[in-house]
Amino acid sequence: MSSLNYIFKRLLMMVPTFFLVMVIIFLLVRMLPGDPAIAMAGDRASDADIQAIRERLGLTEPMLVQFWLFLSNTVQGDLGRSILMRTDVMDVIVDRLPVTVFLTVYSVILSLLIAGPLAFVAALNRGRWPDAVIRTIFQIGLSMPVFYIGLVLLTFLAAQLRLFPVGGYGDTFSEKLYHLFLPSVTVALYTSAIIMRNLRSAIIEVLDAEYVQFARAKGLPSRLILGRHVLRNALISTVTLLGLSIGNLMSGTLVTETVFAVPGMGRLMLEAIFARDYPLIQGLTLTFAVLVSFVFLMTDVFQSRLDPRMRLQ
Amino acid sequence: MQLKSVLGLVLATTLAVPALAQERGGTLNFARYDGSRLIDPIYADRNPDIWMVGSLFDTLLRGSADGNSVEPGLAEAFSVSEDGKTVSLTLREGVLFADGAPMTGDDIVFSLDRARNPDLSPWAGLLGSIDTVSADGNAITIALKDPDPTILSMLATFNTAIVSKAAFETAAGETDQDKSAAIFASTSAGVGSGPFYLCGFEQGSSMDFCANENYWRNGADGKPLPYLEAVHFEIIPDDATRILSLQAGEVDAAEFIPFSRVAELEADSNINMQLYPSTRIIYSPINTRDTRADGSPNPLADARVRQALNYATNKDALIGVVLHGAGQPMSSPLMAKATQFSTDLSPLYAFDMEKAKALVTEAGLEQGTEVTLTTLAGSADDSTIFAALQQMWAPLGIELVVEQVDGATRGAKNRSGEFDIHTYGWVNDVNDPSQVVGWLGYTPTAKAVGTGWENAEFNTLFEEAANEMDPEARKVKFAKMQELYANAAPLLFMYETPFAVALRTAVEGYVQTPLGNNIFDEATVSR
Amino acid sequence: MSDMTFTNSQPSFFRMALRKPGLVAGLLIIGFSILLAVFPGAFAPYDPNTIDYNAIRQPPSWAHPFGTDLLGRDSLSRVIWAYQVNMQMAVFGTVFALVTGVIIGALVGYYRGIADLIFGRIVDAVITFPFLVLVIAMVAVLGPGLVNMYIAISVVYWVYYARLMRAEVIAQMGNDYAAAGVVMGYSDRRIIFRHLLPNAITPVIVYWMTDMALVILLGSSLGYLGLGAQPPQAEWGVLIAEGRNFISTAWWLSLMPGLAIVLTGLGFSLLGDGLADLLRPRG
Repeated sequence: MSSLNYIFKRLLMMVPTFFLVMVIIFLLVRMLPGDPAIAMAGDRASDADIQAIRERLGLTEPMLVQFWLFLSNTVQGDLGRSILMRTDVMDVIVDRLPVTVFLTVYSVILSLLIAGPLAFVAALNRGRWPDAVIRTIFQIGLSMPVFYIGLVLLTFLAAQLRLFPVGGYGDTFSEKLYHLFLPSVTVALYTSAIIMRNLRSAIIEVLDAEYVQFARAKGLPSRLILGRHVLRNALISTVTLLGLSIGNLMSGTLVTETVFAVPGMGRLMLEAIFARDYPLIQGLTLTFAVLVSFVFLMTDVFQSRLDPRMRLQ
Repeated sequence: MQLKSVLGLVLATTLAVPALAQERGGTLNFARYDGSRLIDPIYADRNPDIWMVGSLFDTLLRGSADGNSVEPGLAEAFSVSEDGKTVSLTLREGVLFADGAPMTGDDIVFSLDRARNPDLSPWAGLLGSIDTVSADGNAITIALKDPDPTILSMLATFNTAIVSKAAFETAAGETDQDKSAAIFASTSAGVGSGPFYLCGFEQGSSMDFCANENYWRNGADGKPLPYLEAVHFEIIPDDATRILSLQAGEVDAAEFIPFSRVAELEADSNINMQLYPSTRIIYSPINTRDTRADGSPNPLADARVRQALNYATNKDALIGVVLHGAGQPMSSPLMAKATQFSTDLSPLYAFDMEKAKALVTEAGLEQGTEVTLTTLAGSADDSTIFAALQQMWAPLGIELVVEQVDGATRGAKNRSGEFDIHTYGWVNDVNDPSQVVGWLGYTPTAKAVGTGWENAEFNTLFEEAANEMDPEARKVKFAKMQELYANAAPLLFMYETPFAVALRTAVEGYVQTPLGNNIFDEATVSR
Repeated sequence: MSDMTFTNSQPSFFRMALRKPGLVAGLLIIGFSILLAVFPGAFAPYDPNTIDYNAIRQPPSWAHPFGTDLLGRDSLSRVIWAYQVNMQMAVFGTVFALVTGVIIGALVGYYRGIADLIFGRIVDAVITFPFLVLVIAMVAVLGPGLVNMYIAISVVYWVYYARLMRAEVIAQMGNDYAAAGVVMGYSDRRIIFRHLLPNAITPVIVYWMTDMALVILLGSSLGYLGLGAQPPQAEWGVLIAEGRNFISTAWWLSLMPGLAIVLTGLGFSLLGDGLADLLRPRG
């Protein structure tokens, strides 16, 4: 099957997935105790005010009507108006999405830079002390709650040593790199630990494989073996892993963005939930789903290119 | 004690000002816990919005420094007629909006009509006594349906601030809400006449105020206000990060400092830790209905049990662990000490375990009665309060359990009565006791803050006070209401807390009022 | 482990396990953690909930090795009692997902067809859904608390187990013994549960170990948001959150529970890696 055909088929299969996501989020937000009218009008508003706002927001319509509106508007690219922000959900998302994407990509790159070389060192020294030390350090990174690590980094590296700024996220690209370094490292500590583990075992697996043993026996220089076989396999497994954990990664920004005061989608999502901003929660969830599906698809295509054994199916 | 000395300090610095020439210009960087969403006098309904209205807009009258009277604002003169049904004001000559357009009587009529329109403003109820507003040149006349003792205070309150009629007429949008949002989004100078205008806004991230060069007020040094060129706000929701940002020198001020950090910041020589006196009270409504929401009998319906809970609560210990000493027990059951007509009933339910035990025995409270305290999830203060109360009430045979919810859920529960006791707080928006007393005690407003408490005598007193023009007679009525309320104890009366703001020592002249308003008019920052 | 030891002899499982220091360390850490979780009262020097207004935020001392907290409670005792909650989290936060996921994954992997297609869409929907949002929303709907947190986590996590199991079963189906089972006319049930499952479950068990550590971490994050363990119950995430305002002044408040999380996570991870090493099919 050609890859264009494959991509088309995959896109088609996303339709029921998105529909399911929309049904789940639609029902879920409406099951939450409290409603946007109360959150919007405040605790002091009278019951009549609340009722009036409910009507204005269209919350008094039957559920099916509300869902139909949500569905048909979304298909037309209209995600509705945010109750919290008093602007179109689409505008808010366009505003916030780049921040979160920047943070995520930045932390993935940092993770690869940290985990990549160390995974090789660990794998080549398997069972000896460098392996043990590297794995233990990463394990600590993996076990520390994000909100704590973030605060520790801020306290010591930013507030005391003044190496990095505490808040803000900069205007230019290089400013962003500087401002978002600590939040990205915080996320990367976790991600790099996962990548390191995976990469280490992938490398070991290849090193143990018969064809590599054979190549070694033939006397091929180890650099060549590493380059030709190990790197490719390591890359495949890392890309797969990253693709799969992209959802978790982006979920993780929820807490990181709050601690570091980064105005991204994660923090917005938390605010939207607390304010019962139905259109915003729905819009953010859908954006998230589209993004993650897109990354999954890219991963699969990339994988099939790298690894001829993987057939697109 | 601490509070008094801080107050003294504030007064001392304010008095010292005239001698010094004010440093002008510069930008003050201010870290906030939450961002504004829409700063419009009538749509401001959250504190981060309300407290900024005064920086962008002016009111006809201004609250006096002691908070007990009003003084001229945009109106240079004002009077109330003998029968109390007409307010006459004279608009100050030559007031300009920030873009240089002159303010006229039309703007006043437009603004007040907008503010009292119940279809638009959630605060319209506070202006229910107004019949008509008219303007003849600079003479403004407000005709009232009934005498209203609060009307002058209301004209000094954020929701009656004056907006430009022209700005609304030319703004894009169908409805008033849309126009307001469009004006806000355009960050233009033409809508208000306050000391600053909004010149930058990034939703959820930052906000900028620029000095209004046409502002009419002069400072103590005789020079026009404001002194600052601009104020830049950064939104840093996390308490610890906000403080770190101040310590790193990235911002000049940080608000809502957790009380647990106050001592540490006081010890820092680069930081001026301010505890501004406030009208904020922290209390917990108690469900007084005969049955709980699930239909079971409610042990808290008995006033004696509620009194017992109040006696068994050691306020000083609570203030110690939650506020680290920066607060005082409530002295009036209905309002903060700083509110007009507040009666000092202190010690209000002084800690007395014997009395508490006697009361629950008298009420026949069963040992092991389970009571639920609903708290805000993720609030460190609420968790501490719960742990302390659980221990304090155990001797009464009460088994306190916790239910952590978010703000929206707590609001819904307060409304529906599906709670036993929940944590809550209040800051006055209006410089008059009627708002807070209506909220906490008058049944038609909000079922006495959701407790379901209903007392005919109290309600009658409240209604009478609403039309009572004689301040002394009004004061007597409020005193009687406070007495009734204290005895019925529909609340767990807890404490008053100041507003904790940490400033770099380079900052002077910044004030947060007892109502919470952030005042940058006379602030300066030396670099 | 080198291939040499494997091919020379087949020592008993236990003797092999004992030769792996990582696995032994993991077993010791988790064993001790379980001990603390089951008998916290025997190890904690004080009652974890006794408030002492006169001993607030005291630094570590002989009387209080981990210091005292905001209400003067003994921090060591609270960290120890938290083992009960956090270890419970590790088990109940994963076990339902594990069982459901393994069964569904095995069935789908064996039968494929339409069930597999539907399964694929459900998996996609769950995985593309922002996980924390689902959990936060579900906890808000059901009410905060540990049990509801387990339900919320399980609703999502079973998918990961099922995916893993499905892939393993499909791989195993290619092996001779599964084909042999079919030829011998064994019932589907027998083939799935007696032959496929035991062979396919190894990676799932290894993943489970890592997952338990992750669930503790997740539970801590939810505790930080006030959605997990309820006060006055001590839980590491809540303890860290309580101390987060005091990182430079009362560091022990957040550091000690932080170390407990790290140590337990390390234990599960060592155990997982060790088991993977031990059970990895060779040849």
